[in-house]
Amino acid sequence: MTKLARTGTWPGILLAGGILAACLALGLALGPVSLSLSQLWHLVTAGPVQGDLENAIFWQIRMPRVLVAALVGAALAVAGVILQDLFLNPLTDPYVTGVSSGAALGATIGIVLHLSNLPWVTVLAIVGGLGTLVVVWMAARRRGRIDIFVLLLAGVTISYLASAVVTVLMIKANEDMTAIIYWLMGSFSGRGWPDVRVALVTIPFMVVPLFFTREMDILLQGEKRALELGVEVERTKRLLLVTAGVLTALAVSVSGIIAFVGLVIPHIVRLLIGPGHRGLLPVSLLAGASLMVLADLLSRTVISPNEIPVGVVTTFIGAPLFVYLLRRGRRV
Amino acid sequence: MAAPPARLAAEQAPVDGPLVALRDVDFSYDERPVLRRISFALRAGEFVGIVGPNGSGKSTLIDLIDGIHQPVSGEVLVKDLPTRRYRRRDMAKEVALVPQNFDLDFDLDVREVVEMGAYCRGKDPAASGDPEQMLARLGVADLASRRFSELSGGEKQLVVLAQALMQQAPLLLLDEPASALDVSHQLRLFDLLKELNADGLTVLCILHDLNLALHYFDKLLVLSDGEVAAFGPPDEVLRPEILDAVYGVRAYLHRHAGRTYLTFSPRLRGERRGRVHVVCGGGTGAGLMRELVDAGYEVTAGVLNALDTDEETGRELGLSMAVEAPFSPVGDEAHAENLELMRAADLVLVSAVPVSHGNARNVEAAHEALVSGKPVWVDEGVRVSDFAGVVGGLADAGAQFFAGEEALLAAVRGRGAPSDGRAPLVGEATVRAAAAPGGPGETPNGPGDTK
Repeated sequence: MTKLARTGTWPGILLAGGILAACLALGLALGPVSLSLSQLWHLVTAGPVQGDLENAIFWQIRMPRVLVAALVGAALAVAGVILQDLFLNPLTDPYVTGVSSGAALGATIGIVLHLSNLPWVTVLAIVGGLGTLVVVWMAARRRGRIDIFVLLLAGVTISYLASAVVTVLMIKANEDMTAIIYWLMGSFSGRGWPDVRVALVTIPFMVVPLFFTREMDILLQGEKRALELGVEVERTKRLLLVTAGVLTALAVSVSGIIAFVGLVIPHIVRLLIGPGHRGLLPVSLLAGASLMVLADLLSRTVISPNEIPVGVVTTFIGAPLFVYLLRRGRRV
Repeated sequence: MAAPPARLAAEQAPVDGPLVALRDVDFSYDERPVLRRISFALRAGEFVGIVGPNGSGKSTLIDLIDGIHQPVSGEVLVKDLPTRRYRRRDMAKEVALVPQNFDLDFDLDVREVVEMGAYCRGKDPAASGDPEQMLARLGVADLASRRFSELSGGEKQLVVLAQALMQQAPLLLLDEPASALDVSHQLRLFDLLKELNADGLTVLCILHDLNLALHYFDKLLVLSDGEVAAFGPPDEVLRPEILDAVYGVRAYLHRHAGRTYLTFSPRLRGERRGRVHVVCGGGTGAGLMRELVDAGYEVTAGVLNALDTDEETGRELGLSMAVEAPFSPVGDEAHAENLELMRAADLVLVSAVPVSHGNARNVEAAHEALVSGKPVWVDEGVRVSDFAGVVGGLADAGAQFFAGEEALLAAVRGRGAPSDGRAPLVGEATVRAAAAPGGPGETPNGPGDTK
């Protein structure tokens, strides 16, 4: 079952790309108004047209929503791969760094202050997330080196602190409680082109780690061994940590906190194609996007017109799949 | 020998100075000093071992050479350039390190693991070498497609060695590469290192087994408590007095089949417990002498014939002995010397040695000592092969008899205990093992044969 990895990384990447294309097509086609493939093709090639209702639904509602979902899923999966391997800990997800809790705090402040949904809530979420990254970073710095375990502990601690503040704010601002809770649960409902623009910023940050796959492979043997083999460990670590932090902050700022994708996608992909990053990173990116688009599709169609929180759906899809793959036998 | 030698020592540009030089290096972790005033140099092509007790700073020393740590003061030079001036990738081209502990929780192929070693050589496959060829060079080509996590300890060690060799650095550092290996893999590994060295690789290897150090290495560096205790050829460096100072053990050099071996026993610090003279021969006293030495007694023996098993053991233990020429009866001079030793002793022991006219004078000497008031304790076994009929006289004069070597040793320890209150160091098991049949004649498995 590891043949995929051994025959090179391209077959795996192409397969994952195909699956993503299929998921995107489904996500764009299905909804309260379902479209056939030919209609879909027609709408895509026509571009946005003024005055056509179907075209407006497609271009103003469905397209941005699906794109945000794909980008957020990809960003969380890439951040998950980076952090699991840097921490050498399989239970790590993008949220342990505290970045997501910081972003949640920022968003909550935005909601409580009744700043308009965009851009201020998003901007405050990004500021909160990156601010947390800086604080955690300072805490983990010892004599010019980043102590990865201190970073983990500081991240978890800050998470709790930020959550506590969010809880206090929720109680104080009684009337905003529902809005805050919905934001925290995570959703792609009502995401438009401004959100897409924020999510697009993740793309360069997803590309950066692709240039460090060899270093990341070597870092699996621990920091000291990586130094011995000639890797500039501190530089690589910093770059990857910042990349993962920014990806998480951006993803959370447009979608809220969506569970499970960043934790489980890297594991599932590792089980399928092995831990080598030349395959793991791009395939995780594509698989994260696919899972999120699919989960969002289910969240808005299963009990339409109501929505199931997308985090619930990602968990319902991801958990059984993960258990099945684990049972099939490869170690994580 | 598949790979051309040049491959392993590529880019070994001729250097005027030594490959590695440490000048007055001090290093500490936080405030705790680990290495002090370390100075030594390593020339290209040398095959050097590092030995020393746990915690003497061996691993730290090779980490310093690899530039993982920087000295607090002093200089570590690799090819005449301080290690702090190297970028990691350039350092990896000069120095490869095989770590002591190596594990990988992720499911990578052996081929992938080995290939990582070529990281410092860049992406060009021509410059970075072939992982499969390297595995073949180490005789484990069949491992290439196995998963690293499924290998045995010995196989992992070879794979990590292959990974380090992929760096094609002229210097290879190894941190106790043999500690997880069985004896056959150990020898295979060191033979392999020797071959690589013959192909031009400079090797600096930490190891614990001093006998392997003695046999394989051209030079040894002995570290003790963070300082260089000795540096030179193994036979000059592994001398008992140095080992005593460094490890706090008594070391014995034995020659066997043309090679020198070391054996060890714990050393007692502080004052001696007393002086015991042993009358023995033919291997009947070897166990006694060793146990008594280990228990902290000053031991003398005689008269023994040169080349007798007991005489050899006594020599290894460094005892004062009265010695007679091989296969000759005890002469006047040796006898006088023996009497002298007995007079200086607090106690005289007689082992179950066969007594004939050749060595009857030893029993007579013991008799004389007994008469002069010296306690004489005798192994009952001596009566069995008393061909000269002299043992009876000892009994008549009041010598104490004990049922075998074990009883004798127990009595000696019992005697020593009350005076200084120190618990005997020698356990029952070791006593019993040493007290194996010490019958008449040169029994090949007798207690004297402690090789």
